[in-house]
Amino acid sequence: MKSFVAALLFSAIAAVGVSMVLSTIQQPSSVAFTTGGARVGDPGNNLVGPS
Amino acid sequence: MPSSLSTHKVSVARALCAAFALLFVLAQPAAAQLSFNPTAESVHEDQLLKALKEGDKITGRISIPDAMAASLIQPAGRDWRDFQRSKMPIIGGITIIGMLAVLLIFLAVRGRIRIHQGWAGTKILRFASFERFTHWLTASCFIVLALSGLNISFGRILILPLFGPQAFSTLSAYGKLAHNYLAFPFMLGLVIMFLIWVKDNIPGKIDLEWFKQGGGLLTNGKHPPSPRFNAGQKGIFWVVILGGAVMSVSGWFELFPYLPGDVTTMQIWTVIHAVMAMLLIAAMMAHIYIGSIGMEGAFDAMGTGEVDLNWAKEHHSLWVQEELAKGTVPAADTPRAVPAE
Repeated sequence: MKSFVAALLFSAIAAVGVSMVLSTIQQPSSVAFTTGGARVGDPGNNLVGPS
Repeated sequence: MPSSLSTHKVSVARALCAAFALLFVLAQPAAAQLSFNPTAESVHEDQLLKALKEGDKITGRISIPDAMAASLIQPAGRDWRDFQRSKMPIIGGITIIGMLAVLLIFLAVRGRIRIHQGWAGTKILRFASFERFTHWLTASCFIVLALSGLNISFGRILILPLFGPQAFSTLSAYGKLAHNYLAFPFMLGLVIMFLIWVKDNIPGKIDLEWFKQGGGLLTNGKHPPSPRFNAGQKGIFWVVILGGAVMSVSGWFELFPYLPGDVTTMQIWTVIHAVMAMLLIAAMMAHIYIGSIGMEGAFDAMGTGEVDLNWAKEHHSLWVQEELAKGTVPAADTPRAVPAE
């Protein structure tokens, strides 16, 4: 039972850790695949800009 | 004179009308000879796509950093989409439901595999805590990966109509996050699992005997001699390691798009990922079955790490002999609670 719980905790912590590491070395697609002139306000959430 | 002038004007007008009419009549065949009107025809996407051959692409000129965005239409993408939407659910459905049916039939016909000699009341350590940790690390990640992956293939058909678009979207979004990030501890688990168990999973001549006797699964109380892992368990080990490796490589290419190549290569890897996932899920269903309800005493191996001595003697007689030689097996009269059945 301890091994099972430890495995669950480790996998959750590892997943969160990986997400944090990747978010620091990767750019969001709204930045990586567009130029500054083509970006919209609140990229990722708003594709048409402020209403 | 005015009358003659008027008549002349009328004649000129008639001549002009006749000329226009003639021009119109002559122009009709010329217009009819055109096979298509480029402007009108451009909206007929189906005809346009049919005209493109395998591997053709319609590209444009762009100024944004993503050079691949210049591909406007890639007809092969339709085949990929059709596969994902129509063929993949059929392949997955047959594989998974088929395995479920096989297991249910096996349970109905063979019943639960009991410990033939009954519980010994003595336990023997089968898996140390780190081995169990590795197993559950890989297994727990695999279950989440499998469920979130199945949602990608079957969610539109099964989940969306039940819960509606908003709940399905939220579920799928969190499922995708879990799928992306739990893939890493899963891959770590595979590597550790390979390192700690590979030495006990090298196929040998003894495995042929196990197969000849059907692994003792078909006949009551008859078990072929087996080392720490029998041939069936070795098979599961290599299915997990090799299948997991394919899943890891193909999944890595989806986590980091365009690493292996262009969009066509990406599509091939997504198909490999999906098909291998279905096969692996089916294999794991069999593994879960035999490790839980299918065989009495089997779950203890990964539950507490200790198995009943009689269970061990029946299913892994050669391994028990090794442990007895080492002196790691406790005396047979060691007190132990025996489940009431």
